[in-house]
Amino acid sequence: MKISVTVNAHVYERDIAEHWTLLRFLRESVGLTGTKEGCAAGECGACTVFLNGKVVNSCLVLAAEADGGSVETIEGEAHAGELSTIQAAFARNHAVQGGFCTGGMILSVRDLLSRNPKPSVAEIKAGIEGNFCRCTGYQQIIEAVLDASGQLTPETKGELKYV
Amino acid sequence: MTKLFNYRSPPKRAELLGMLADYGEDARVLAGGTDLLVDVRNGFANPKLVVNIKNVAGFSEISVSQLEGLIIRPTVTINDVLQHATIRDSYPLLVACARDLASHQIRNRATVVGNVVNASPCSDMAPALLCLGADAVISSETGQRVVPLKDFFKGVKQTVLRPEEILEEIIVPPAMAAASGAYRKLKRIEGHDLGIVGVAAMRKDGVLNLGISSCAPTPLLVEGLSAADPVEAAVAAAHDAIHPISDLRCSREYREHMVEVFVRRVLQEVA
Repeated sequence: MKISVTVNAHVYERDIAEHWTLLRFLRESVGLTGTKEGCAAGECGACTVFLNGKVVNSCLVLAAEADGGSVETIEGEAHAGELSTIQAAFARNHAVQGGFCTGGMILSVRDLLSRNPKPSVAEIKAGIEGNFCRCTGYQQIIEAVLDASGQLTPETKGELKYV
Repeated sequence: MTKLFNYRSPPKRAELLGMLADYGEDARVLAGGTDLLVDVRNGFANPKLVVNIKNVAGFSEISVSQLEGLIIRPTVTINDVLQHATIRDSYPLLVACARDLASHQIRNRATVVGNVVNASPCSDMAPALLCLGADAVISSETGQRVVPLKDFFKGVKQTVLRPEEILEEIIVPPAMAAASGAYRKLKRIEGHDLGIVGVAAMRKDGVLNLGISSCAPTPLLVEGLSAADPVEAAVAAAHDAIHPISDLRCSREYREHMVEVFVRRVLQEVA
C-alpha cells in the first residue's frame, strides 16, 4: 500500500507492505537508521520516535498507521550541523558509549523536558523508564539531563550519587 | 509486495462491525497495538485482516456524568486517562493502576480497553476496573450485550468476546466516583516492568473490594468485604480467592506471601 509520511519535515511517499512497522519503514524505506531495533516488543525504547507529537515505540506502530502523519526521529535533533542542547549535554557528560540506546533516550528526554523543564532526579528516572541503557550507565545520562535542564553544578556532578 | 495481512482503518463503527462479521476469527482489532503487534511478530496471532479502530468516530472519547458514570471507549489510551481532569480528581484507583502500566511510550499507545481485552493475568487495569464494579458493553453487527467485568474473563488471554464482537464501552457506575483506592504492584525493578503480583483496593461507603492480578489464570475480584471487619478477614478472603502458580518470575509461595503483604498495605492506604 502507498503511504505518505512527514519525517523530520520532509514528506516521504512510499509503497510498503501492510504488516511493516513504522520502525521498518524508517530504516528500510526512508533510510534513517538512527532509530534502532532492540527488543521489538516495547521493552527497550531504542526505537523511540515522535509520532504526531507523542513519543512511541516505533516497533509497535504499523507504518500504515502513520499515513498522513508526522514523525520526528533522532536525525531531526541536530540543526544545520549544531547539536541540540540535549545532544550537547549528553556529549559533555559522557552519556554516550555504545550509542544504541542514545537516539531513543534523547527523544524521551526531549519529551520529558517539554513536559517538565526542571525534572528532579526521581522524575528523570521515571521519564526514561521506557529506555534501557546497557553500557553507558544511567549515572551519566541522569547528569546529562540535569545539565540540559540547567541543574548541574560542580557540587552535584559525579560521585555516582544518582544511581 | 508480500504482505502478512490486509489492513483497514474504517472511519465508521458500522463498517468496522461489518468487517468483523465478515472475517470472524481471521480478523484482529488493532487499538494501541502494544500487545497485538508483539503477538503477530511472535507468531501467536496470524490474522488475515488487521482493523485499525483509531479512526472510528467517537471511539477515543471519555465521558463522565452523574447519571451514567464514567464511560471509557475503545481507543482511550492509558495516558488519556492519566491526563483527564475528572478521572484524576474522582477515580484515584484508576490513576494508580494506569500510572504503573509499562512506560511513557507504551502509555501513549496502549488502551484501557485493550489491556482488558488482552486478558493477561497480570493486567494492570483489570484489578482497578473489577474493584470499581465496571460493566463491559459488547457490540456486534447484530446488537449489544452488557457483561459485568467480573464475568468477562474466562482464562489466560480468554474472554467472553466472540470473534465478531468488540468491547465498545467500559462503564464505571456513578456510585464509584470519589471511591478511595490504592494499588501495589510487585516488579523486579522500580520502572517499566510486568507485574509479578498486583493488589488493588477500593473503599466506598464502608464497602471494600480487592482486585488481584498475577495470582490466577484471570484477574480476580474479591468483593463485598466490610471496611469495618478486621484486616485478617480481607487477608483470608484474598487467600481463598487466589491460586497462583510458580513460574520463571517467582514461586507460588512468594506470590501468596506478597498478596498478604500487599492486602495489608492497600487497606492501610484506603483506611
